Amino acid sequence: MAEWTFAALTAEPEVRARWERVRRYFFLRESTYDMTRRCNIRCEGCYYFEGDKQHAAEHGDPDAWRALMRAERDRGITYVVLAGAEPSLVPELLRVCHEEMPLGAIASNGIMHIPRAVGYRIHVSVWGNDETSARIRGARHMLARQIENYKGDSRAVFVYTFTPHNIDEAGDVVATLAREDCKVTFNMFSAPVGYSGRLRHTPESLARTRRTMTELLARHPDHVLFSPYNAVAHTHRLGLHDLFGCSYPRRNPSTDLGLGRSFRQYRTDLEWDRDAACCVPDTDCPDCRHYAAGSAVVTARLFRHATDPDTFRSWLDYVDTYLAVWVVDYTKGRNLCERMTAPPGFGLD
Amino acid sequence: MAVAMELDQLILNIAGIMIRELKLEDVTPETFDPDLDLVDEVGVDSMDLATVALVLRDQYRVRIDEDDYPKLKTLRLISQYIHGKLAAGA
Repeated sequence: MAEWTFAALTAEPEVRARWERVRRYFFLRESTYDMTRRCNIRCEGCYYFEGDKQHAAEHGDPDAWRALMRAERDRGITYVVLAGAEPSLVPELLRVCHEEMPLGAIASNGIMHIPRAVGYRIHVSVWGNDETSARIRGARHMLARQIENYKGDSRAVFVYTFTPHNIDEAGDVVATLAREDCKVTFNMFSAPVGYSGRLRHTPESLARTRRTMTELLARHPDHVLFSPYNAVAHTHRLGLHDLFGCSYPRRNPSTDLGLGRSFRQYRTDLEWDRDAACCVPDTDCPDCRHYAAGSAVVTARLFRHATDPDTFRSWLDYVDTYLAVWVVDYTKGRNLCERMTAPPGFGLD
Repeated sequence: MAVAMELDQLILNIAGIMIRELKLEDVTPETFDPDLDLVDEVGVDSMDLATVALVLRDQYRVRIDEDDYPKLKTLRLISQYIHGKLAAGA
């Protein structure tokens, strides 16, 4: 097969325009921050309560957080991901972070509303329907409470995490969210290190999840922020590290450039550990299919995807999805490649 | 001498590509210090480098392996890398 030049791959106006649009955001440099050890619910398989990070002291002084954000800005960080336990429990710290660093996202369970003054993307976690949520998160009427808090709020994206046991529920949940005009994207349960519970995916559940994601994308194109390539990358039998080579310090020994150089994962005591630095710490790396990981790992592999029109368009769709999910006011375009494309060097399954 | 001239010209050409692709301001191919650290002193990152690598692939028909990115710390090193590949292919 003849090799495509980059100029030929970007020759079509629609592709060129998308490339020019997404590359304006290449300045984003992220780090992540645990804001508090507290949470108002306790979910089965929660990553925060795995490993050592839950035992770090909580540093709730807004001045210390302000100083940290300024120092982060000085070393080139342009985007913050604020996570937990549950960040909505420390709104004053969220406000300080936003004042110092205008771009970012908050991972929240959505039970408490985050003040409008905090202009970050808010990722509201959804783990199934209300019955399932009550069972594995111990919270009743979860979806209704989340919708009540975030309906009509342009900051919010609902993140439906697929486990092997909630695949069939996704249709109703996404239909409800679409009816309420809420945006949705998809995540995959990825096992924490040593996890032997029932939420770990199987080849059968991965295949079924891919079909469901694809159907829901087709059924709700105005509300589901996803693409066929997202579905392939996150439901492949191989995890993200094996498919693309994870860029986060925990798996990437290089400190020369990219995430291996800039990324830090701060705990609630404002300390960080390079050996543990990862978008979702304590995940079992071979099983990692997190949406957050993919946003960095797949996006970073531009060169690998500039091989042929379908692969390059699929990569553009992935980056377009990533930006729509993570950046307030970025509107997702229509997907440029509607067919399933294999990750470079691999098959589809 | 001819090879040295050729490398100098390559540095100028690649400087022009980097300035154009990365929209670098206040610098021309002639004033671009080829020994500046691209990450620490120019602000280039992995996505920038991948973009430049794709354009260089088009321009010189030379592939820059992703594993080699960390070695390409300066404009001179990139130019020497391309120069070496061109020489090997000649």
